[in-house]
Amino acid sequence: MAVARFIAKRLVQIIITLILVISASYIMMYYSPGGFMNSSIMATALAPLQGQNPVLYHQVMDQFESRYGLNLPLWQQILKYLWHEFSFDFGNSMQNPSLHISAQLKQTLPVSALLAFGSVVLSVVIGVPLGIIAALKRNTWIDYVVSTVSLAGQAIPAFVLAVIMVLLFGVVFQGILPVTGWGSWKEMVLPVICLAAGNVGVVARYMRGSLIETLRQDYIRTAKAKGVKYWPLVFKHGVKNSLTAMITVIGPQFAFTVMGTIWVEQIFAIPGLGQVMQSAFTSFDYPLAITSVFLLGSMIMLMNLLVDIVYALIDPRVKL
Amino acid sequence: MASTAAAARTELAVKKKSKNRSPLYQGWKRFKRHRLAVIGLVWVSLFFIAGVIGPWVAPYDYRVGDFLAINQGPSLKHIFGTDNVGHDMFSQILYSVRSALIIALGATLVSFVIGIVLGLWAGLRGGIADVIIMRAVDFMMTLPGFLFALILVILLGRGYWSLILAIGIPGWAGYARLVRSLVLGMRNGEMVEAATALGASQAHIARRYMLPNVVGSMGVALAFGIPGDLVQIAGLSIFGMGLQPPIPSFGNMIAQASDNILGFPWLLYFPAGIFALTLLSFLFVADGLQEAFSPKGGN
Repeated sequence: MAVARFIAKRLVQIIITLILVISASYIMMYYSPGGFMNSSIMATALAPLQGQNPVLYHQVMDQFESRYGLNLPLWQQILKYLWHEFSFDFGNSMQNPSLHISAQLKQTLPVSALLAFGSVVLSVVIGVPLGIIAALKRNTWIDYVVSTVSLAGQAIPAFVLAVIMVLLFGVVFQGILPVTGWGSWKEMVLPVICLAAGNVGVVARYMRGSLIETLRQDYIRTAKAKGVKYWPLVFKHGVKNSLTAMITVIGPQFAFTVMGTIWVEQIFAIPGLGQVMQSAFTSFDYPLAITSVFLLGSMIMLMNLLVDIVYALIDPRVKL
Repeated sequence: MASTAAAARTELAVKKKSKNRSPLYQGWKRFKRHRLAVIGLVWVSLFFIAGVIGPWVAPYDYRVGDFLAINQGPSLKHIFGTDNVGHDMFSQILYSVRSALIIALGATLVSFVIGIVLGLWAGLRGGIADVIIMRAVDFMMTLPGFLFALILVILLGRGYWSLILAIGIPGWAGYARLVRSLVLGMRNGEMVEAATALGASQAHIARRYMLPNVVGSMGVALAFGIPGDLVQIAGLSIFGMGLQPPIPSFGNMIAQASDNILGFPWLLYFPAGIFALTLLSFLFVADGLQEAFSPKGGN
């Protein structure tokens, strides 16, 4: 029951946050210089008409404005978009009026989600063992190497790593792995590695700290006194208990990765949400831009909620 | 008699010396022990120097391309090569260092100032102001700052000032939380209580006990903040929404180089390499500062 109440409370918070973010984004785009009516292909095509027949030009422009709902008062436009988003009927894109946004998302969203999840999983699979090794070999050269490498992974952003990968596998080791496009698992390898690199560092550093802290606990000493052998002690008593703390890192890391996906997609030419977002933002495609903000936000916040629930389920000390 | 006087003198000398060891001096001594942090500091200093003197040492103007020498590899005339319109890459990088530093420092300052003001307000006032500000902090923390920056760039445009604001405004939440926790921690801390009991004035407490503690934590926060902003600036360029060309920037160079990476890879080596090295150095410095100044970082 407490869990249900907790989830309900958090869902309400998420919805309020989304309403604020969508309204704020729309207001900012609405007041930004340029705007859809001035920057679309249609406006360029109609420009000559302005000189020849101003009356007709304004009539046509008004027609278009009312067609896209841009002549309504601002608050009505915001309400319209909020209604669209929360009913999951995203409407049609402005730059491609024949294209339904849902259809576009059906193709692009799974791609980005797969990249993000894949890299989070990979970073845990690599980062946790690295962290364990560093913690057990604390203050030896192994520890220093692991710590330095994870710091490097954290420092270098995914897009720099991505171009370096393109250089390595596109020029030096040509033909081993494809550096552009999307389709088979082979095309997933490099982007996922780029996205995971930063997270590996975070996970490894956090795991190291968490394990060192756990191994200092009294119950570890008790277990040792009772005659538990080294490896069972480290894994059953130490690692298992430090892993629960690890779950809390995954939430923020997921958010970080989702944003990284957008960059990496640009460089590897992957048809994901990032590409959709870029075209939406650069050409003032309001419905598409708002929808991508909505999706990114809800994805990140729902993931955080999930992390909190899992954490409470695993660790009996945590109360929701 | 004479020996006691000498002993007293040496004792005095020792005392004088130890008095010089302010928290900052001790922090610096701890910082110096991290070799990587010191190397990082050297590179970061070079980066700053390059940013300041760049326009005077750059061999070519960033706006002028030599059309007779496009896409050339590194040579004596152009030590980092030239790009597809004949820009000298070395000069481009020098100017990029400048633009990156201006925006990163500006943006960090904007976030820092907003964060300090709101954090102090929340921490000192408490009550409803505290509740509202902390709610806003939670709100800003749930979504990545880059998303806010992206939307702000659309509103403000792609110049220096707009980028400083677009990256700086969403970044305040972390600083506000830090300042608030520092204020609360110290206001109720034993050190301040003891000093008050000994009759120290408010100004003395603030100067002698609060400030040195705050400076360390703030320095660490800033050292982590600047590279974060550098990444955001370049990330906006990758997204096609960074500094408007022809103003050179690392993001633009990296994005451009990735387009024709197969033919002219050196266009990537230098910008990406220097950018990566700079971020790494900043992080090493930040890490060293954290271990030197954070209260728990004694190990």
